[in-house]
Amino acid sequence: MTARVLPVWWDDAADGPTNMAADELLAEEAERHGGLVVRIYGWSTPTVSLGGFQRLADAEGCDAIAGLPIVRRPSGGGAIIHGTDLTYAAAVPTPHPWGSTPQALYDAMHAAMAATLAEFGIAARLHLPSAADPPADAFLCFSRRSPGDLVTALPDDAGADASATFGSKIMGSAQRRLGTAVLQHGSLLLETCTAVGPAARHRGLADIAGGGSWGVPEVAGRWLDRVAAALEIVRDSQPQSFREGREAAIEDRAARFRDPRWTGRR
Amino acid sequence: MAADMKFAKTHEWIRPEAGGLATVGISAYAVEALTDLVFMQLPAVGRKVKAGESIGEIESVKAVSDMYAPVSGEIVEVNTALPGQLETLGKDPYGAGWIVRIRPDDQAEMGTLLDQAAYDALVKS
Repeated sequence: MTARVLPVWWDDAADGPTNMAADELLAEEAERHGGLVVRIYGWSTPTVSLGGFQRLADAEGCDAIAGLPIVRRPSGGGAIIHGTDLTYAAAVPTPHPWGSTPQALYDAMHAAMAATLAEFGIAARLHLPSAADPPADAFLCFSRRSPGDLVTALPDDAGADASATFGSKIMGSAQRRLGTAVLQHGSLLLETCTAVGPAARHRGLADIAGGGSWGVPEVAGRWLDRVAAALEIVRDSQPQSFREGREAAIEDRAARFRDPRWTGRR
Repeated sequence: MAADMKFAKTHEWIRPEAGGLATVGISAYAVEALTDLVFMQLPAVGRKVKAGESIGEIESVKAVSDMYAPVSGEIVEVNTALPGQLETLGKDPYGAGWIVRIRPDDQAEMGTLLDQAAYDALVKS
């Protein structure tokens, strides 16, 4: 791997199929670039993204998310409610040191965020498995725990036992491992999403850290600087969005993600 | 493992069998790296595939991975028991954890794949 920079695209909001299509193209871009590439993006409306093999019936049976658009990701993991999160896609060619095993890229991205949040006085760490973990197959990503998830302490965790001290998951990621590249989707929960029912609400960074000294652009920028530094390269924020100039290719791929046969594949 | 077993860089193994067939699975390294397998989707019998084409998907707790045909040919049998007992992949990846049997279009294509030593070197690099 010879890439000397980490290209980062900051994209404005789009619908689910457009975002998933752009992320598939990002995986191809990683191969061309020969190293890690990242896209940060938003959602034009609160949207549920399902993991690659989650049952659509489980989403349809979840009253708390009724009425929200649903898109199925190519990546695994649990369902995420987007709209109050920082969503990213990262991709590396498979031979990249972070592409060899799933855990390598999870841990790299999450550890960099833990270190970044520490700069802002927010304690977070990579989750260590414990007998008290909620089920790994819960429908919602932020209701699951698996090794490497980013968890943080809540004010009302005080006095809880050690296993629950870092009781709130604030960042989760999942991958699609292709033959020549790895695409990782991830989400940092910024605040509680009120577009969903109470059963699907999870506390985010603002609920934990308040509106104090941190801001999303600062956190994201320093996080990506740390990610780049871990590879001994530098962040190279792109002046245009990732979608610019790729509109036709993205729309072509988005058709698959709009197809009910894809959404209902399981 | 059989001496004539070959490996693709994408971690599938293939072993020639009697009658011009070959058995395909995924390597112990790949199974261990994925951890906690939860779901598998297999191809249909009779499907024609090209080398490098996806023949199915396997999901672990946090990753979906494509499985690729190591050679071109026709899928003649699939291990239908496997999705219901994914632990078999970890216990016996080169035996009971086989995934498909394929009738290669060209037996010589297997010669282009990695032997055990080359594959071991790949995963250690």
